[in-house]
Amino acid sequence: MSYYDIDSILTDSQKLPCTFELEVPGLGILEGNAGEDIKAGTRIDLPLWLGEMLSIGARLGTSRLVTLDMPDALSERVMNALKADPRTLDLRALAPHFYNLSERILELFEEEEMVDVLTDTFKKRAAEIADHAHNSRGAVGDGVDFLRGLDETERQLFRAAHDRAKEMRIWSGEARRK
Amino acid sequence: MASSRDSPSDRAATMYGELGNKLVQHAKRTQSLAHLPPYQTEIVRAVTREVRDLDRDVTRLLEPFEGAFNPSADPAIACALLVDHLCMRRNKRCLLAYHRVRTEKLEELCWTGVDILEQQQHMDGTQTALGPNGHSSLSPEEEEYFRQYGDLLAAYKGQWTDVDLTGTLEPPKDLFIDVRVLKDAGEIQTEYGVINLTKNSQLYVRQGDVERLIAQGFLERLT
Repeated sequence: MSYYDIDSILTDSQKLPCTFELEVPGLGILEGNAGEDIKAGTRIDLPLWLGEMLSIGARLGTSRLVTLDMPDALSERVMNALKADPRTLDLRALAPHFYNLSERILELFEEEEMVDVLTDTFKKRAAEIADHAHNSRGAVGDGVDFLRGLDETERQLFRAAHDRAKEMRIWSGEARRK
Repeated sequence: MASSRDSPSDRAATMYGELGNKLVQHAKRTQSLAHLPPYQTEIVRAVTREVRDLDRDVTRLLEPFEGAFNPSADPAIACALLVDHLCMRRNKRCLLAYHRVRTEKLEELCWTGVDILEQQQHMDGTQTALGPNGHSSLSPEEEEYFRQYGDLLAAYKGQWTDVDLTGTLEPPKDLFIDVRVLKDAGEIQTEYGVINLTKNSQLYVRQGDVERLIAQGFLERLT
């Protein structure tokens, strides 16, 4: 999590539903109506970098500015699907940085069960990813749909596993460099 | 559910920080490319303009208070100020990250011995590490950075005359190789005397002597 880390910046741009607790003049631009006011109780999807600070800032001040909700990517429905079979879900469609997002969200919410579900998901999918990465048919065969649904972290994992397997073959003399 | 995402057609009401996001997506793509894509002058300019707009907004909000603003007395104004501040901070982060990804790429090119400025002058040549369009993919500042970083690297390398710091780490299989000269490079001094590199000539030379010239595109290795 470095300041300059591109993936962490992109993670912070993912949106989550926020509810404004007070009326703010001139902030309509967040809703797509520039120049208008925002009414108390308005629900808007705000990027994580904005919503997080607005909800935390409230704890230091007098009243709450904004309350956060779980993003759709981590809804009850998704959690149930992950519990049933983690391998069938298209995580990329839910959130391009799914695990990074959940990590950030779980800093803000107290959700013990979600931690377990996500850890289990990652483990099961990691095994599947390693399988595809070591299998030369992996990227063309029936695994296409699964591999297309990998989130960014998983993609990096796939690439690492794939490249390492190749380098191992070169090292042991089974394959030639390039 | 009302969402700002649902109105992308409304150009005037682009959510703050969205342009910065576009810039970071460019940076993400740059990371996985071998060459350096064109500098996004337009977006960079638009993001800095957005920061100026936000700053103006802050000044306007604070004007009536004449320096005696109390956040707890005016939570709505405080919230608007916070949003402005956060957007500026976000834009700053996006701008810095975008430029850092590019400068890192430039440094990498310096170390591998690719002279991107040289290649731009020889655009009509066969190999180009640049974008498809003819003009430079570097901003003027980046060109300056590249030049000065190259000078720094050369000065650093100059301290050790018997070791080539940017040389390849792979041990050579053959000490001598066949090369063909692609561009006139004049005379070069080697351990075994002077060799004259004239275009289209073919030579059998020590690999260590000509490695740099191959990387710079003066010579082509024959196998």
